[in-house]
Amino acid sequence: MPTDETEQIKNIKSFAFQVRKNILEMAVSAGADSAHFGGALSIVEIVSTLFACQMKIDKKNPNWEERDRFILSKGHACLAYYAALCEVGYISKEELKTFEKNDTNLLGHPVINKNLGIDFSNGSLGMGLSLGIGVAISSKKKKKNFNVYVVVGDGECNEGSIWEAAMAAPNFKLDNLYVIIDKNNFQQTGSNKEIMNVENLKDKWSSFGWYTDELDGHNIKDLHNFFKESKNINKPKTIIANTVKGKGFSFSENNNEWHHSVLSKSFHEKALKELMEK
Amino acid sequence: MNINERNIKIWSTIGARATLGIAALELAKEIDNLMVLTCDVSTSAGLDRFKKTYPEKYLDLGIAEQNMIGVAAGLASENFNVITTTFAPFQTMRCCEQIKVNLAYMGQKICMVGIASGLALGTLGYTHCCIEDVGTLRSIPGMTIISPADSLETVKALETAVKLKNPSYLRLTGSSNNPIVYNKDYEFEIGKSITLREGKDITIFSSGAMVYQSLEAAKILESKKISSKVVNMHTIKPIDKLAIEKACDTSFIVSVEEHNVIGGLGSAISEYKSSLKQSPRQLFLGIKDTYTKGGNYKFLKEKHRLTPEKIVEDILLDIKQNK
Amino acid sequence: MSNKHKYQDIFIKSLSINNNKFNENIKYNEIPEWDSIGHMTLMSGLEEGFGITMDTDDIVDFSSFKKGIEILKKYKVF
Repeated sequence: MPTDETEQIKNIKSFAFQVRKNILEMAVSAGADSAHFGGALSIVEIVSTLFACQMKIDKKNPNWEERDRFILSKGHACLAYYAALCEVGYISKEELKTFEKNDTNLLGHPVINKNLGIDFSNGSLGMGLSLGIGVAISSKKKKKNFNVYVVVGDGECNEGSIWEAAMAAPNFKLDNLYVIIDKNNFQQTGSNKEIMNVENLKDKWSSFGWYTDELDGHNIKDLHNFFKESKNINKPKTIIANTVKGKGFSFSENNNEWHHSVLSKSFHEKALKELMEK
Repeated sequence: MNINERNIKIWSTIGARATLGIAALELAKEIDNLMVLTCDVSTSAGLDRFKKTYPEKYLDLGIAEQNMIGVAAGLASENFNVITTTFAPFQTMRCCEQIKVNLAYMGQKICMVGIASGLALGTLGYTHCCIEDVGTLRSIPGMTIISPADSLETVKALETAVKLKNPSYLRLTGSSNNPIVYNKDYEFEIGKSITLREGKDITIFSSGAMVYQSLEAAKILESKKISSKVVNMHTIKPIDKLAIEKACDTSFIVSVEEHNVIGGLGSAISEYKSSLKQSPRQLFLGIKDTYTKGGNYKFLKEKHRLTPEKIVEDILLDIKQNK
Repeated sequence: MSNKHKYQDIFIKSLSINNNKFNENIKYNEIPEWDSIGHMTLMSGLEEGFGITMDTDDIVDFSSFKKGIEILKKYKVF
């Protein structure tokens, strides 16, 4: 891995481009089964920063014991997750085409499959952070040195179980636990403001005892810097990542129609054109 | 509700979930103190129109099912007539203890509707399928559990359940283009099963989307000279004991459900059946206590042997093995 | 009845709108009746009325009365 920061950022950006491309391919092949397009696009830069740079992983061995763990608590954003695992080398491009097909390993929410690098099953919102705490605790107990990264949705913060976990992690002094909240301001049927407001997330997480920062979730440099600067802080860490649901394509940005929808061939063509022109 | 041929067809096309939304709109006209609560699923439950037409009768609690039940119970305690709805696993299991304490134990009455139960959302994996809801809720005292066979029965079940004095759970199965079981209006009574097809050799008990599959299976069995009675056991709790007693006139009972064979309709039938002095043996058809790989609804019904052809195969095999 | 008349008729009946509310510029989600439920009812009405089965992509892209005319050409309705 290049140590030069400019080179690292460049690699992450290139990774993110491929992740978006993979998302388009999976979504169009899902056809009438639809795909959670918007909420996957909002986390592209986040997963890219993690998988292309931040996370300690072995590209040849998804089961390496010392690996950092990743939990996609907002499991419906799995398009971005599978796309990233493909770029790492754990999932083949051929396997990506099986997304949401019968008998697939790649369903509309992640199902545990360690050989593909999918460490946990997710999809019922609000459960991933608790899992993360368990895994982070075991890292300490086993005197291993791995970190745990959990991506949580802002709508997902409606769930009480998130706050049970948020309360617990600082109690266990889990400085190896990172939560990235994908604050794209929408949930399934409307904006957070319309459905169930989740204001002041930064204050809320801080008051629970987390080292918290708020930044642009599509700014790879900012994401990269956060991880660098918070490394030695003796608390669990949260990023409130301000993102755009559907980021990357003119028709989907901030358009909640794309929460879970069919990517028709015409939209696929339009999206690919926009991606290539960037 | 205007129950006519045209509407029955439309409701069948749009599926049980969207029909729920239409039924709620009609109920709001008759029930002044109606409240409909959801967890960020208005579009999935066909409630967008309801939300726009009756905003004062609608509350969205966001993705927070345990809170929804508590809030619903609080409203019910002040004499509001409350319907709650979200996806079946979250409607039943996520907030199970809140259901026990607030509804069953404390006695607050609400009508809960679990949408997309069974295998309909198989491409999203088993977090979004529900094969455990009936089993989970059956062990809670005082809970009425209904599994409507088609979109029309969804309307009738909802209209009836909102008038109950005890809490209830409506389990909606099937997808859009939901096959029609009832092509005209009929009498629906909680706890009273409906014999859809007479037969003298075997009795097939079914509920939900499996009723249609069972009727189709019975046609195939007829061609093989096996006369099958098909009973729509729409109310799983309280179970229709008389129907089970009558089934003992046939030589063999089959239960067919889009649910784990443990805990659901089949279990409910066998619990009563085994208390009878004499009764025929029972074949349990349903999901055999396992989470499989996912896929679309059609694929999963095949996989779990819940198509008419596979139901027939399993019945014939069982008859052969027990000759 | 010409297919154009029939098409208009299906729109009015499926969406349960008054004749005077109908105009050829109506679009999905721009009138309360043409929401997601209205859309499914409309698609079903069109399929039944013209004896066709539409592809999912066409159902998704069917965003207005006028766009619908373009789409239905594929099915030889127009």
